Amino acid sequence: MVESIVFGIGITALAGALATVAGAAENVESDIGSQGDPNSQVQLAPQMGYIHRIFNKAVAGEPPAYGLWIALGAGLAWAFLAMQINPILALVLGSSLAVFVQGVYATTAYLGRTASLAKFGQPVYVDILKSMTTVTMAHAFVAIFTTVTMCYLINAALGHPFPLPLLGIVWGIALGAAGSATGNPFYGKERQYQNQKYGAGVPIAASGNIVRFAEAGERNSLDNGWFSARLGGPASGVCFGLIVFLELWRTVLFEEVGSGWGAIVMGIIIILVFMVIDRYIEVWARKNYGPFVKPEETSS
Amino acid sequence: MSAVAAKPTAGGAMDVTATIIGIIILLVVIALTYFLVGPGLAFMALIGIIVGGILVAFGVHFVPVGGAPAAMGQAPGIATGVAMLAAGAGLAGLFGGAWAAQTTDNLLVIVVTGAVGGGLMMAITCMFVTFIYVFGMGIPNASGKVAKDPITGDTQTEYKSQGTEGHGLPFISYVGGVIGGLFGGAGGTLIYIMLLNLYNEELPGMMNALPAQVLPIAVTLAGMFAIGMFLVNAVLAAYNITGTIEGPHDPKFKRFPRAIVASAVASAVCGIVAIMIVAV
Repeated sequence: MVESIVFGIGITALAGALATVAGAAENVESDIGSQGDPNSQVQLAPQMGYIHRIFNKAVAGEPPAYGLWIALGAGLAWAFLAMQINPILALVLGSSLAVFVQGVYATTAYLGRTASLAKFGQPVYVDILKSMTTVTMAHAFVAIFTTVTMCYLINAALGHPFPLPLLGIVWGIALGAAGSATGNPFYGKERQYQNQKYGAGVPIAASGNIVRFAEAGERNSLDNGWFSARLGGPASGVCFGLIVFLELWRTVLFEEVGSGWGAIVMGIIIILVFMVIDRYIEVWARKNYGPFVKPEETSS
Repeated sequence: MSAVAAKPTAGGAMDVTATIIGIIILLVVIALTYFLVGPGLAFMALIGIIVGGILVAFGVHFVPVGGAPAAMGQAPGIATGVAMLAAGAGLAGLFGGAWAAQTTDNLLVIVVTGAVGGGLMMAITCMFVTFIYVFGMGIPNASGKVAKDPITGDTQTEYKSQGTEGHGLPFISYVGGVIGGLFGGAGGTLIYIMLLNLYNEELPGMMNALPAQVLPIAVTLAGMFAIGMFLVNAVLAAYNITGTIEGPHDPKFKRFPRAIVASAVASAVCGIVAIMIVAV
């Protein structure tokens, strides 16, 4: 009994660690490719007269895109497992094939979306396509492989009833949702609009005026990947890692307590703890950053 | 009347004709199911699916979603799409609920476990949104729709930076996100468990196999239908919201009755398909 709990906790920790890496890689991948909501500005910039060398591959929102890629990787790995192929090899092969699909989507998305901006004078840079696509594919492989492996552990070691492809779509969509929610503002505001004031939102009038120049020459998406890897990526990773770890942890340890109510009570306690942390951060920001204008000015 | 001549309906108003037609379709589907399969497990499954769908659609309205403007700190909410974020939370809940269904038969425990799973996902995600806004971008939370946070009483207007509609997740939006996750997780799990019970009952006879042999098929089928119906209801609710919403304090929240009628009809139509594959 104790051994099985220790085993369960070990797998839970491993799944949480894999999820952390997945979240970080997912966010950096989407930022290098300008996927997700900040893509609107990359698409808008040439229309406002700002020609740029940023990769532009909004295949879909991050959650459905990752739902597809991870379900595909998990489904293929599942098929290889059914063919009695070694699990590690099956997971690598499934993820590799899914990455090629991601690469095809990235290429067609860049060519299609950028070509649609031809009338605004935005060129299709073939060197960007050659150098960026492989980088997004490499990051996507890390995200897909770690998530598929996590799903495999949840299914094979922890005994979740869902088959691997179904777990793939569930956690793929959750990965995209957590990654885009956490990482998008950091890339969208803090990187694309580095020329705007720190500590304030981007004025709507500045839309489209994204930063296009780097320390030397024109900025490209590899610079953006470097920037996202400083905070947006790790924060997305910790976010998704905590979601997976705490969800598994409360089930593995407390499922048997009180005929199922133990896991529920523990889940509610965790929700309340995060609620308190959120409120603390909100109050801290109000105290330390202060109001933008005095209250009486706004009421007048 | 052409589309150009048609008057745009007011934001929150219920279209009486559409509502009546929707309710008629709903009643027809329910009556048809009752007529075809009788008052047994399959009929109960349909009712469960409709209730689950309504919970999902209602829950989506609580989730604060800012879309692209939120990614630039131009509008409050989470910087992603309505349907997608709700799906992420609801499916995380479905994951927990499906797991609980393995060890207990208590419907309440299973559904509440699913709800808490969805709420947990949203609680962590929303906390990290605030974290990134405050520590990554130095921006305090500010609502664009209300002058004071209805829960904490914090004034909002003076924390709104110039030229924006607000930014981040005020506490009311955070609470809305968690409530949305709870409803989404509960709804998705309810759909799953009703279908699983039905398939577990019907498939062994249909396939002439032992219950243990059909269990993986039943789980897979129920899981696929639950994910599909979840997305149907989440997308329907997203169309009702049209773009972005701040949470329960947003005026757009009042549109939810329209989504409830629509999702009841959509769930009933999808539900009868899911039931007919085994019950007739």
